[in-house]
Amino acid sequence: MLSKKPKAGTTFGYLIVPLALYTFAVFIPLLVAVYYSFFEWKGGPNKTFIGLDNYAALLRDSVFWQSFGHNLYLVLLCVIGQVGIAFVFVMVISTRFVKLKGIHRTLGFFPSTISAVAIGYIWMMIYDSRRGILNWFLEAIGHPEKKQVWLNNPALVMTLVAIPLIWQYIGYYMLILLSATSAIDKEILESAELDGANAIQRAVHVILPMVKSTVVVCIVLCVSGNMKAFDNIFVMTEGGPGNASMVMAMYGYKISFAQQNMGYGSAISVGIFVLGMAVIGVMQLISKLFAEKEA
Amino acid sequence: MKKRKVMMSLLLSAAMTVGMLTGCGSSSAPAASDTQTATEAPAATEDAAETPAADAESAASDLAYSGELTMMHFSTSEESQGNGGSDGFRTMLANWKEAHPNIDLNESVLANDDYKPQVATLAAAGDLPDVFLLQGMNTKAWAEQGLILDLTDTIKNSPYYADYNEAYFTPFTDGDKIYGLPVLTGGTCTVVVYDKAAWKDAGFDKFPETWEDVKKADEYFKANGYTDTIAFGNQGKWQANSCFLSVVGDRFTGPEWFQSIIDKGGAAFTDEKFVEALQFTQDIFASGIFNEDFNAITNEDAREYYIAGDAAAFIGGNWDVSYIGATLLETDPDLYANTGFAVLPQPEGATGSTNTQNIGLGYAVAINSKLADDPDKLAAAVDLAYYVTGPEFSKYVGENYALAGLTKVDNIDLSKFDQYTQDFYDFSYVSTTPCEIYDSYVTSAVWDVLNTDLQSMLNGDISAQEVAENAQDAYENNY
Repeated sequence: MLSKKPKAGTTFGYLIVPLALYTFAVFIPLLVAVYYSFFEWKGGPNKTFIGLDNYAALLRDSVFWQSFGHNLYLVLLCVIGQVGIAFVFVMVISTRFVKLKGIHRTLGFFPSTISAVAIGYIWMMIYDSRRGILNWFLEAIGHPEKKQVWLNNPALVMTLVAIPLIWQYIGYYMLILLSATSAIDKEILESAELDGANAIQRAVHVILPMVKSTVVVCIVLCVSGNMKAFDNIFVMTEGGPGNASMVMAMYGYKISFAQQNMGYGSAISVGIFVLGMAVIGVMQLISKLFAEKEA
Repeated sequence: MKKRKVMMSLLLSAAMTVGMLTGCGSSSAPAASDTQTATEAPAATEDAAETPAADAESAASDLAYSGELTMMHFSTSEESQGNGGSDGFRTMLANWKEAHPNIDLNESVLANDDYKPQVATLAAAGDLPDVFLLQGMNTKAWAEQGLILDLTDTIKNSPYYADYNEAYFTPFTDGDKIYGLPVLTGGTCTVVVYDKAAWKDAGFDKFPETWEDVKKADEYFKANGYTDTIAFGNQGKWQANSCFLSVVGDRFTGPEWFQSIIDKGGAAFTDEKFVEALQFTQDIFASGIFNEDFNAITNEDAREYYIAGDAAAFIGGNWDVSYIGATLLETDPDLYANTGFAVLPQPEGATGSTNTQNIGLGYAVAINSKLADDPDKLAAAVDLAYYVTGPEFSKYVGENYALAGLTKVDNIDLSKFDQYTQDFYDFSYVSTTPCEIYDSYVTSAVWDVLNTDLQSMLNGDISAQEVAENAQDAYENNY
């Protein structure tokens, strides 16, 4: 009964629903943005067709490329921070020394249910130069000279706004990785243990290869998520000081809405899409190369 | 049986999709009216109860139009608590509605921060409401796009024309055409709020007139338990422009330079005098008289430093003055009684007027150009615009809040107000010289670039010359 193949019509019927939704919410806006990006459009009904001028401007726009650099930096930190730490946590939680595993899982996942705006405010309070606990802590451990106005330091600000993001999403990747590791046959781990592999060896040589495809999915999710980072950074710094924490999505928003330059803003959106695809493409190429090497 | 189940689940998922689609599709407009119904309804009844129908008499006239008139503004009921302009505006709207029961005034009310992008998006889509509040710097662009109605004759024919404060129209003017009736109350964007007693202790009977004296006072304050001499917040990036540079620029360049920028008359952001103003701004913020975290906190945070007594003064706008007043009245009546207001001290090397502060009406009631096709509806919109900016409004905000609007009214009795309110009225409208608020003019594309650079400049990361050059580029490309 269960193995009976459903009729083609039924399958199609189910699939059309998400497809329609996706087309409406992603494809159409994207196509419309491509169309608008060929115009000089400063709001209002009048648009002037200018061909590829917006893209030419985009290629020369140093703020945009600086923002792209910030996104890449954010991706790097978050892949290491979110997926990396999540993997370590999963390894720790799945050892038999850890009690109350359910609670660890729930509390670990908890931050990813909070809105990024609220998290931005929480971390702003932590970084606050006068009332924040970070400066208080530095004072308490006898390093008052390290105290500073954290979010006003252009060299540090990208790292500082990445920390809340990392903190927020560790639990999310932890959950995905946990489900993957729980599918591993216990006997394999036990025989590895009998052969004398310690915990780190088991994690690196046994578990990691077996959950590799899940890790790749996590990394792709992490990259695509961080290429469109916006909300908590907007709350914490609005891209400042200057453009020191500007990311691509925020720049597109600023151009479109604060500067009311909708045509160029559309070109930026298309640019974000192309660059995002390129980054993910490069990553998949790298993981393929690795896979071939191993084979 | 099984087939029915499949059909059922298909139907359910289809229903869900439709639900989601309609949810997405209509998010712009109805979300706004949601806010409105949530915030508007209770307050409107309150207002109506407060002001007897007597007020409505001047609003009542024979309007042929009946039906819906859509309007968008940002005087939410939260905003109107303590904000005189907002309260007055809401009261006038309630009166007008009562006087015109045939007209269904459909308001969308958003907080100011949400209002600006929303109205810009509606303008981009060519979908503006019938009546809305126009920000000065959008005037030229939107007039060029044919989105807003030329109100020059309407204004000349206004029953209150003789009493209008002409200067307030400039931001809403393009060539010789005027596109809006300035609305809400005129408020300064740059005022020094200071603790008179503390500055007296530091040796100054009133706030210093030069920055050298402020630096001297800074030594005293730092030695006597104050964390900061002057508190300032620039996290939002606009504050250093609106609440500082706009006045300092005027002191260096005089008003003609900015008029020439507005008229594209040849002045440039790279002109020596303006670069000097930028250089001065950079130097004074580097001198240590301000709180060191000024670029990482907002003006809302900075004014708390003054309220808490950590800072001996604060620089902000009229919106901060009303908040500081309301808070101090409850928490620190002594400081409330000792708080005074002053213009910015004169920068060294500046040759312009020493007594200027930037004041104006940032928004005007504008009318959608589509209404030109419907004379009756237009008449109703014009009547509403006259009324909410007319003497009734000025009288209300004058008597209740010691504020002034577009229409001048005589004999406002200020005697019932305390010293704080009277002093601020005097500062705003009597004893100082008005100058222009930069970002009421030109275009946001220039100010967004300048404000961002200004924040870096105050950190010492780029030079005044670079800021000026980038602003000039943005000006040439966008205006």
